[in-house]
Amino acid sequence: MLENIKKEFTTRTLVLIPIAIAINIAIGELVVRLKLPIYLDSIGTVLVGAIAGPWAGALTGALANLIWGLFNPYAAPFFYVAAVIGLIAGIAGKQGAFEKETPHWLSALVGAIFVFALTLFLLAFINASTDETGFTSYPTMKDLFAQYLIVFIVAILIGAAIGYYLLQKGGYAGMWGLITGVVAAIIGAPTAAYLFGGVTGAGTDLLVAAFRASGGGILASVLAQGSVSDPFDKMLSFMVVWLILIIASTFQGEINSSRE
Amino acid sequence: MYVARESGLHKLHPLTKILFTLLIITAGITLPGDWTGYFLILLIVLPLAYWGKVFPNLVSTAWKITLPIAISVILIQSLFWGKGTPIFEFWIISPKIEGARYAAVSLGRIFLIMTDFLLFSMTTRPDTLMIALKQVGMPSSIAYIIVTTLQIVPSFQRKASTILDAQRSRGLETEGNIITRARAVVPIILPLVLGSLVEVEERAIAIEARGFNSNKKETSLIEIHDTQLQKNIRSGFILMIVGCIIFGILWRL
Repeated sequence: MLENIKKEFTTRTLVLIPIAIAINIAIGELVVRLKLPIYLDSIGTVLVGAIAGPWAGALTGALANLIWGLFNPYAAPFFYVAAVIGLIAGIAGKQGAFEKETPHWLSALVGAIFVFALTLFLLAFINASTDETGFTSYPTMKDLFAQYLIVFIVAILIGAAIGYYLLQKGGYAGMWGLITGVVAAIIGAPTAAYLFGGVTGAGTDLLVAAFRASGGGILASVLAQGSVSDPFDKMLSFMVVWLILIIASTFQGEINSSRE
Repeated sequence: MYVARESGLHKLHPLTKILFTLLIITAGITLPGDWTGYFLILLIVLPLAYWGKVFPNLVSTAWKITLPIAISVILIQSLFWGKGTPIFEFWIISPKIEGARYAAVSLGRIFLIMTDFLLFSMTTRPDTLMIALKQVGMPSSIAYIIVTTLQIVPSFQRKASTILDAQRSRGLETEGNIITRARAVVPIILPLVLGSLVEVEERAIAIEARGFNSNKKETSLIEIHDTQLQKNIRSGFILMIVGCIIFGILWRL
């Protein structure tokens, strides 16, 4: 294990990490300038994970947030979330997620399953009832299916369309991004809820407000907001990295063949 | 972030300051009492900022960073609080007293974290912090990453702006509806990232040629002033941080 960690941290990796952190910050700010409702501030972290490995990815994520914390202290407490994002990106890279091209039907399936799961989660959340003692009970799956059958069918169709047209050949990388987003949402929610009252000052606060209005507690609302916005954000980040690596390896191939 | 001033706070050893910063944040989070955050800001952070001659800088920067969050916290917590005593009711708008109180309490914590961190980064030069951290055993590769990042972030921000302008002049739409703006992302990201990957090789060769992988002990141009008193105080801070955490856990059991 220690051998593996040492192997990841070559001089090239150490040089890549500061560049990756600067990419995180520059693209994160650019997205704010374009007024888009996503963050895209972990592309560099995912890039290091994909190229160098999980431990290098984790270090990049943690340091990125801690250094950003010197300018905007809000980012610092979430350093462990960023580390986990880099770690998962590294594992995905080891599994070959950034090299393979996925058939379109598989991307459609990934999209369909994900949007279906998200719908299930949100409907369960909205229909949860809290009694006087503060105990929250969730509806059973059977009731939800009976009540919202059409919603589920529409969700599956939308998911399949997203998979087919948006994920295209990057379904495998996109899927890892979706998983990363869910994990990030779950582990980040307690810190966001407890330290900051569940609010970030960004556009996603509107979602928190919507879930609060439908009767959720603070932690539950933050978790629900995170599981809507984080998976899409991380899916896009993973796919951008996939695209970059595909293009980079094509360039490398051209350079090599021109040298020969 | 660093603000160059001649003050006692600036002259303290960086480790003393970082431990103190962590102590204040730990105390603000773990100690009981809803208004601890505000007390710590008024009684400790602000007087120290005055002593460090960064009071106006601290207040204006903290204001800029926390204002959007503060507005969000107040609106969301007071307007969307489930059941409670309404302050006033107008159409569907009815802010609750409990929500407003919760917003004030969590804002105290947010303000404390912001001002405390900012006080540290305004009174400590990043390079002295790195040297101090290396002296207590941080690997020099980590120090390299942090210092290099701080140096290259501004140049990357400029690069991103240049690419944005260049693509615009080639006819890339960056304004309009959300789909148009989303489509502009990839043509800007790709040149930025691919261009920087080319730099990796050059930089790696450059630092290896300067003995980056050497095992010899490094020397530094800057010497950091340290005293026995500060060393003792630092041990005290560590004990107090541990004490705060234990106390906070016991109090909540």
